Amino acid sequence: MLRLFVCATTLVSALSLAQQPAAKPADPVTGDAPAPADAAPAPASASDGGVAAAAAMGSGSTGTGAAPVAAPPPAPKKIDPKLFDDALNDYFAGNPKAAAPKLFDYTENVPSTDENYAWAQFFLARSLIELKLHHAGAVYLSRIARERTNPQVLTRALEELQQLTDRPHDEAMIDEQVFGALDLGFLSEDVAGYAHYQQGLVDLRVGNERWATTHFSKLPEGSAEASRAKYAMLVTRLKQARKDLPKEMVDQFFELAKDEKLTREARNDAMLAVARLRYEAADFTGALEAYNLVKLGPLEPGRAALYLEEAWTRYQLGQVHAAMGLLTTLDAPSFREEFLPDKFLLKALIYRDLCHYLPAKRSAKELTRRYAESLDAVRERDDLTRDPRLLRAASARGSTQRARKFLESLELEGEQLGRYAGTFGERMFGYMTRVYDLARAEAVRVYQRRLQDSVRVEADKLLRAAEQVRLMEYEVGLKLYERVKKGSKLVALIEEEPLKANQVSFKFADEYWNDELRTYRFSLKSRCIEETAR
Amino acid sequence: MHRAILIVSLLVPVFAWGQSELLEAPPSSVNALQDRAYRLQNEFTVMVGFLPSDPYTKGVFAQGGYAFHFNDYFGIQARGAYAFSLPTSLRNQLERDFTVLPTAFSRVLFFVGGDLIFRPLYGKLSVGNRFVVHGEVHLLGGGSGFAFTDGLTPSIRPAIDIGGGGRLFLGKNASLRLDLVNHIVLAAPGSMTGITNVLAINFGLAVNFGGTE
Repeated sequence: MLRLFVCATTLVSALSLAQQPAAKPADPVTGDAPAPADAAPAPASASDGGVAAAAAMGSGSTGTGAAPVAAPPPAPKKIDPKLFDDALNDYFAGNPKAAAPKLFDYTENVPSTDENYAWAQFFLARSLIELKLHHAGAVYLSRIARERTNPQVLTRALEELQQLTDRPHDEAMIDEQVFGALDLGFLSEDVAGYAHYQQGLVDLRVGNERWATTHFSKLPEGSAEASRAKYAMLVTRLKQARKDLPKEMVDQFFELAKDEKLTREARNDAMLAVARLRYEAADFTGALEAYNLVKLGPLEPGRAALYLEEAWTRYQLGQVHAAMGLLTTLDAPSFREEFLPDKFLLKALIYRDLCHYLPAKRSAKELTRRYAESLDAVRERDDLTRDPRLLRAASARGSTQRARKFLESLELEGEQLGRYAGTFGERMFGYMTRVYDLARAEAVRVYQRRLQDSVRVEADKLLRAAEQVRLMEYEVGLKLYERVKKGSKLVALIEEEPLKANQVSFKFADEYWNDELRTYRFSLKSRCIEETAR
Repeated sequence: MHRAILIVSLLVPVFAWGQSELLEAPPSSVNALQDRAYRLQNEFTVMVGFLPSDPYTKGVFAQGGYAFHFNDYFGIQARGAYAFSLPTSLRNQLERDFTVLPTAFSRVLFFVGGDLIFRPLYGKLSVGNRFVVHGEVHLLGGGSGFAFTDGLTPSIRPAIDIGGGGRLFLGKNASLRLDLVNHIVLAAPGSMTGITNVLAINFGLAVNFGGTE
């Protein structure tokens, strides 16, 4: 009986202890009640960039090492309306550092119905952006977009947000929650165009092409968004129609590649798509023309994929010396960290075709030697994201790259925030710290999720290349010990293109010049005898 | 028997070594083949120069010229220059303290001539690892006619020109050019003067039409 009583008492006290946090007052900073301690982490709140959730999670530091545990914030104080004017004076005097804490103080202590509330948020966002705290600025601009308390401010906030999308940004918060969910009736043409484009992209991502077309059809003809939308549509169709490619798709991509309204990168992507489609259709000459039309800036090294694909195309055209020259390019410091297992395979193929079997075998072995650790990791079923080569390769492309860049920018801004610990004051600094903590935690989650998928793609690529290399080694091994018949003659040499009158030749001496990367020519005589000629 | 085994075992590695030589790839080379970024054809030059070799009178001259380039290596040029003389302190001292007459010093008045241009070196330079600039080095050889004056009577003397220079390309049509030419001025027929060396250093802008234009 006594034991029963003790148990009951213990349980009652435990239950009352568990109820305690729920009795806490609402967070006056965010206006949200804190979540119970044992509840699952709340999703990012739409109204505050998820800061309330971060506070409830009791998140630690941002990496600045200065994040205090969120103490109950003080009750709203009465604010002198002049504070807003002072802050604006500071801002327009070119002192966003002084303006930001005042504007923060103002926004935190006036109701959202105050006539200057939205403007204060806007200038706070501008100040933060000027202090290179872009994400914090985006949080305030997104809040303006969602609250919509002042139409004038809203338009300007959307324009600012649009500009922020040019750099690494929170795609969920800006692209999906703001532009993807925007009521488009009241917007200016520019912003509406961008919003239609974003909403179309969201529809494309979820596989709803018809809805996407509806959005894209509202884009002004000839605008940059219209060109980008065309590109997005073509890429989506290309993904869907992998086996049965419509022939006009090449022309459509080719047209886009000449569209000056697109960025050079997008135009190059379109031209690469043309080249790849032609290659797939075995039109190697056409593919090579397309690769040559990819425009690089002065002294821009270009992309490793471009060179490797061009090398394959030239190899298919029998231009083995030029193909090998391009493989030399891929050894340049700019591409040394690139994940290109195919490179060794192609090198081995070229040596084999020129009947240099030992170098061919060596090149083939080089792949398994260089990627030995990664291959072991795949075989041992280790966590592939821990393999540095696969990790680097996976996070260098597409959405994973964007997620990585955003995470890096958050970490950089988190460090930057530490510099303003004194200027911002305890309350604002604590708030900003929580903003960055939460954003970072979410960015890490998104990055890891995308990484899991892309690292698998890279591992597949490596395994395929390793398999082909083994076949190559076997084939070369057979050739190496092949008996040469009596009276065999060397096959006619593959003619190397002679130097033209308008050309100049610079001998390569292990020094890579960016302006030469596309022009290397390798010179090696064939040793093939007639029977084994390719 | 033992001897035969020994000979065979000594010979086997030699054969294997010989075979490995064959298996190795012969020396290969890699070259960057580029279209020549800058080519010249009709070149007009505007230059200023300095004649530093005369100890009594230094000269500053303005020169204009035209060059026609047959190809990337050879060309010819015609040029003409007018010089302004600057007496040195030595000459001033001689005139002032030793009553040497100003007519005792002859100075260059103008010179005209033509040269064969040979451009054997063409290359590029990395500037601060940020830019690439193209340039070339040329050699000059030709003849000139020099007009000298002592202030009263002018005299014309032939000269043989030997020199060289460099060019830095600013663009397809413009380049900066620096020439250093030694004019070996021969004695005028019937004159008592001997051979005089007139060194000319000139720098200026060259504008090209044709070629890579």
